[in-house]
Amino acid sequence: MNPPVLDIHNLSVDYQTELGPLHALRDVSLLVPEGKIIGIVGESGCGKSTLISTIIRLLAANARIVDGKILFKGDDLLGMGVDQMRALRGDEISMVFQDPMTSLNPVLPIGRQMSDVQHRGKASAAERKTRSVMMLERVGIPDPETQLTRYPHHLSGGMRQRVAIAMALMTEPSLLIADEPTTALDATLEVQIIHRLEQLQRDFGCSILFISHHLGVIAELCHEVVVMYAGEVVECGPTREVFLNPRHPYTRKLLECDPARIAARTKDLPVIEGGLPDLVKLPEGCIFRDRCDQSVARCATERPRLSGAGHTVACHAVVCHPVVCNLAEHPE
Amino acid sequence: MTGFVLVSVILFVTVFAAWLAPFDPLEINVHNRLSSPSAEHWLGTDQLGRDIFSRVLFGGQIALKVALVAISVSMSIGLVLGMMAGFGPRWLDRILVISFDTVRSFPTIMFALAVVALTGPSLNTVIGVIIITSIPVYARVVRTQTRSLRERDFILAERAMGASTARILRDHILPNIAAPLFILASMDVPAVVGMEAGLSFLGLGVSAPTPSWGTILNDGYSYLRNSPWPLIAGGLPLIAVTLGFTFFGESLRDILDPKMRKKDQ
Amino acid sequence: MSAVLSVSDLHVRYPLHAGITGLTKRRPAYVDVVHGVSLEINRGETVAIVGESGSGKTTLAMAICGLAPVHGGEVRIDGRKLERDRNHRLNPDRKRVALMFQDPVGSLSPRMTIRKILAEPFLIHKVLGKNPQTEALRLLSLVGLGEEIADRYPHQLSGGQARRVGVARALALGPDILIADEPTAGLDVSIQGEVLNLLTGLQQDMGLGIMIITHNLNIVRHVADQMAIMYLGRFLEQGDAQQVFDKARHPYTAALLSANPSHDPDARPNRIELLGEVPSLLQRPKGCEFHTRCPRAETLCKESFPEANQSQAKQVFNCHFPLD
Repeated sequence: MNPPVLDIHNLSVDYQTELGPLHALRDVSLLVPEGKIIGIVGESGCGKSTLISTIIRLLAANARIVDGKILFKGDDLLGMGVDQMRALRGDEISMVFQDPMTSLNPVLPIGRQMSDVQHRGKASAAERKTRSVMMLERVGIPDPETQLTRYPHHLSGGMRQRVAIAMALMTEPSLLIADEPTTALDATLEVQIIHRLEQLQRDFGCSILFISHHLGVIAELCHEVVVMYAGEVVECGPTREVFLNPRHPYTRKLLECDPARIAARTKDLPVIEGGLPDLVKLPEGCIFRDRCDQSVARCATERPRLSGAGHTVACHAVVCHPVVCNLAEHPE
Repeated sequence: MTGFVLVSVILFVTVFAAWLAPFDPLEINVHNRLSSPSAEHWLGTDQLGRDIFSRVLFGGQIALKVALVAISVSMSIGLVLGMMAGFGPRWLDRILVISFDTVRSFPTIMFALAVVALTGPSLNTVIGVIIITSIPVYARVVRTQTRSLRERDFILAERAMGASTARILRDHILPNIAAPLFILASMDVPAVVGMEAGLSFLGLGVSAPTPSWGTILNDGYSYLRNSPWPLIAGGLPLIAVTLGFTFFGESLRDILDPKMRKKDQ
Repeated sequence: MSAVLSVSDLHVRYPLHAGITGLTKRRPAYVDVVHGVSLEINRGETVAIVGESGSGKTTLAMAICGLAPVHGGEVRIDGRKLERDRNHRLNPDRKRVALMFQDPVGSLSPRMTIRKILAEPFLIHKVLGKNPQTEALRLLSLVGLGEEIADRYPHQLSGGQARRVGVARALALGPDILIADEPTAGLDVSIQGEVLNLLTGLQQDMGLGIMIITHNLNIVRHVADQMAIMYLGRFLEQGDAQQVFDKARHPYTAALLSANPSHDPDARPNRIELLGEVPSLLQRPKGCEFHTRCPRAETLCKESFPEANQSQAKQVFNCHFPLD
């Protein structure tokens, strides 16, 4: 078995602010095995942006990695020098962003940009062009030869995103990080794009770390899902398991809020009461306690840790219930 | 920080020139002409024995008076014209932009010479010329800012509510373009001061014996072989003003911009 | 019950900038963004306008608010025709239609406090007998926000809070119609319900007609009484929301409904794949404009535009070969 593509251990990241350190990520661990699509579900403030920035080592100036390790195919990412990281980015680790214009240069034609991405190889200009055309075909862009001469603003949003994906996969990376790539697109386009991604992942065999707050997209695309809340991982496991059998109260409430899952028409949609906790002055105990309807005494004093096998969850209330199977404390 | 300090010093020294100047800038003392800096005359004396330091201080008054008047007037007019161009109908925009470009394409010195030929040299001529050539600069900046704001959602929301153009310009456009405008004005001070000095140097501005940094420079240039000090003395304040206000403008920009874009984590 | 909003055969077109290339006859001089739209909203009713980007839904909203040039057709509020005024002159009808924008923070003036923003409608329309400051605070509590929000600036609010301020401002002068452009876009699922519940609650209290523009079909199912599917500036199908969901007659509607990513990991959805991309508004397909992407298109569809078909009460669609 090859080492996992991404292995994050107990990652904690703070931001220095005027009011004190903001604990954006606390003790985050997750695993991206080879050839799998892992989804991260989380709402605003859950820390997913910080997580990605930390993985690719492009953090803001006031960020500090307080603790933890990130192993990329066995190598320590956090210990790498600037040049090494730069060599990895765009080659072994690629990214697709929510706004395709983040990756596309508005003043260069598509063909030129796709050719530039291949700068590391020794291919000739003609070979690069052929490869660019092939990649555009793979992402479902009609008439790819002509598109090479066009500029990003000539293309629709859906097409731009496809080009961004084509560029990201061109170097056959081991890990593709997709940060809300379909959030800005219509539902029809969204479905098309995730199907393409699925197909491409099968063909190329890369791993994908897919971040989104669209539950439906995660359910369709990802093999496993990681649920994050306010800087912590609260639940983690095979997608089917987590969605059909959510164990953490946050996951459960989140799924309940999804209007797609509510069968009967209602004009009174569920919400999760309360708001995000202050990440500078962290509450004692469980981070979700104030909004939880199942808290027990322990929740006020002790921070729950991820436990379980396969389908893990960080919750005292769940663990205290005898009705769960196969619990073993996860060795830290 | 440096900017603030320099600007404060310059302003203080200029405003209180009358009290700070050790000598009367017009007092002639031919026996002591073109002397080097000494304890008595910090920057030496010029060709008529006048204390250069005192002349520099009073020259500062002129420089900053020109800057204040010229910039505030051209900024105000430029603001109005720029908003009209940016927010009004396209035909108005076209006319105004062509006017701005036409005025800007006149070489300033030529323009000044032409005006002087009509009205004779004076400080007001200088101020007038600077105003006319500066208006298009401010107007252009205001126009660009206004045009980009015009399409923003909050302006559309105001229109949807039925707000009048005047209200939109006053309450919603103006506050959002004020910051870049003030930064521009602050960076413009050295340019205006330099223009005044230049025009006075050429004899198009203040006339002798009124001290202006430009005339001091001119005198220094004429008597360079005798003593370098008048030239140096005329140049130093220009350097100080340029550095001071430029740093000041940059600090202003750093203070004002991040606040506008500040997002909560 | 007469409709509080009535749109008849509305056409909105924008001129294309001529320039030098405009001299050639190939490109048309105008682009029709809204191409013959009719709909009615009654008091207390919610109508959802559904469509992909570029379908013209936002322009439709703008036209109803008087922000887009109406080329043909008319808009009536409570029977009175909405006149488009020039130069943003004060028009009392502006008070009757309120618009909530897609970007909640961007639609609030960045350098004004929330207090000032909410007081402004009263100042614009010189409403007598009401103290703008008091009204501003009243509006805040109407949408469930505390007084501390009043002195903040838009960029200091969260997405959900900014949305509520948008609702508050829209309701300031007691409009008859509220148009919400993508009210849930960018909001987390856990608070989407807050905004929608707020809107439907206020609708009941105030007898509002609400028009929701969205491409999120999941919320349409819950909050909309009527829905209309828009494509290239026209409605392809419109009718009672529940009926349309249960039994869509137009292939585009069916495709949109099936395109939702399924929340159920076990589901094997029967997706209707649409062919190709949305055509450009400058090159409208002949006949039925949807034929280029329709999996059921036949020769007739390429040649003639389908007339409106009425299946049951209030469900209207334009298709030669509708689904059964």
